[in-house]
Amino acid sequence: MSEHVCTCASPHSNVFLPREAEILRAKQVTAGEKHFTLKMKDGPPMDYAPGQILEVSLYGYGEIPIGFASSPTRKNTFDLVIRTVGRVSGAVNKLAQGQSLFVRGPLGKGFDLSQLRGQNILIVAGGIGLCPTRSLIQYILDRRSEFNRFLLFFGAKSPKEQLFLDDLAEWRKSKDVEFHETVDRADETWKGNVGVITTLFKTVNVTGDFRVVICGPPIMYKFVIAELKGRGIPTDHIYVDLERRMKCGIGKCGHCQINDVYVCADGPVFRYKDIEHLQEAF
Amino acid sequence: MTLPSQFIPHGRFEAFVRNLIGARSVIGPVAKKHKFIFAPLKDPKALRLDYDVTLLPPKKVLFPVRQDLVAFDAAGGRSCIAPTPQVLLGVHFYDIKALDQLDVLFQENHADNNWLAQREATTIVGSSIQAVAPRAFWGTVGKEAKPRGHDAFLTKLPDGYLMEIRTPKGEALLAHGDFTPATATQIQQGQSIREDLLDQCAEKLKWSSDEIAHATRAAFGMNAIWEELAKTCFSCGTCNIVCPTCYCFDVQDNWNLDQVSGVRTRAWDGCLTEDFAKISLGAGACENFREERFQRYRHRLMRKTAYLNKKLGGPACVGCGRCSAGCVPDIADPVRIISRILEG
Repeated sequence: MSEHVCTCASPHSNVFLPREAEILRAKQVTAGEKHFTLKMKDGPPMDYAPGQILEVSLYGYGEIPIGFASSPTRKNTFDLVIRTVGRVSGAVNKLAQGQSLFVRGPLGKGFDLSQLRGQNILIVAGGIGLCPTRSLIQYILDRRSEFNRFLLFFGAKSPKEQLFLDDLAEWRKSKDVEFHETVDRADETWKGNVGVITTLFKTVNVTGDFRVVICGPPIMYKFVIAELKGRGIPTDHIYVDLERRMKCGIGKCGHCQINDVYVCADGPVFRYKDIEHLQEAF
Repeated sequence: MTLPSQFIPHGRFEAFVRNLIGARSVIGPVAKKHKFIFAPLKDPKALRLDYDVTLLPPKKVLFPVRQDLVAFDAAGGRSCIAPTPQVLLGVHFYDIKALDQLDVLFQENHADNNWLAQREATTIVGSSIQAVAPRAFWGTVGKEAKPRGHDAFLTKLPDGYLMEIRTPKGEALLAHGDFTPATATQIQQGQSIREDLLDQCAEKLKWSSDEIAHATRAAFGMNAIWEELAKTCFSCGTCNIVCPTCYCFDVQDNWNLDQVSGVRTRAWDGCLTEDFAKISLGAGACENFREERFQRYRHRLMRKTAYLNKKLGGPACVGCGRCSAGCVPDIADPVRIISRILEG
């Protein structure tokens, strides 16, 4: 590999040039996941919508797509939760308060709030799917009067893998959200529901007039969608937040493409009705 | 504004190219053993406008196999966009159509100046096809799309070259050669030569772009056909790499030897390769959204015949035949795949 020396001072803006964000807080929340609160180092604050994504990078390691884990209603800072799965996430998760990472965004399309306001809302979040949906959960809680009933289902593999423990404790007590949780496998500390996330539908009456947001591991979607269809919820009232290999985040590199659709540019949040016909979506 | 067409006799063409090389950075088709490539021209004698098709398409001049995006060091990152003026000489019309498509695709959503800036700094001179590649089918694919993004076009006539000027950038090249205004006969001759060529490809598509798009979409769920067609696919991605309209890429960081500075680059990638749509889920688990060979094989064909048609005003295939010629098990030929789908 040749030594690279860049001497250019180009007037052309570069969509791949990230901005620096300072880590205000960094907390290891599970064995593999770290929760960061960040602030843009220079220039304007991050201006985003719930459900949008960022390309997060560390120079020398690379970039990964991460959904915002906080609501834009919490001004000036934003949260990200990163699971250690590879080279980039492993390096980012070694960072601590006061250090920086680099971000490009916001990118993609988030939740269509105009379609959710004034409605009964159900959010179904599985595992790390709670992170991007937390941007919407916080938004609804901060603007509670703009929404009707608010149900939140959260499933984790085990109690140890639950994220946002402070939030969970608050939601369990809150009158603003009807919070229901389950774990696939209980341990001696767990006194709640045991079973996959769809078992929550047996104990909670979800009527056909809900707008539903789903985010979780790929396997979860078809089972949850079957439950919703069984309750008469039309497919244009279901929103899915999809995970793909969004390498560039700007609808070019092709890795996240599902049939005609680029997840990073056309999503990652989609109305289910708009993509249910795409055979590679689920 | 219609710019005047010009003519240069064969005997003076080499001097024109020599002058051009003296004044600008010029890239054109040259021989590489018994094949052809686009390469920087140092000697006008090396220019081979009689090439049939190049191994790699001219997109590599604007979108290099590896392209630096951002250079970094301890102080942060800096953009690597640094366009340099150049002339891309001798591009066949099908490759111009492919460049037109990439202009649209790099412009949409978030405009990507890593392509657009170099594109703007490049003068493109097309040239008429003098030899037909054995697997080409440019005569019958996407006929509704005409080549747009070029500055001048050369057509070989018996006694010289007709140089049709399309833009002021193209007109600026005339100063380097002994051009004279072309006669109406020469212009007519050039047009006939180009039109007659369209019938010269051995391979032909019998259907319109809309008929093909409709048929391939309808065949999407017929897994048996795709499995049969993709049975001997190596997932090597050669069909992607040689394609003038493929623009998928990977982004990687590389450190310099000091382990502090380095560069973020993009490199051509291919949707046929096994891990193209694979994601990690943690704890060693992963999900591959196009895990089977036939799914990746189908994805390429759908991209070429249907997915991008609305954006591009035609199919994302220009009929160069590079994929057909490059595929080792010879299963990538769009004409054969489309014919299999439409004729059974």
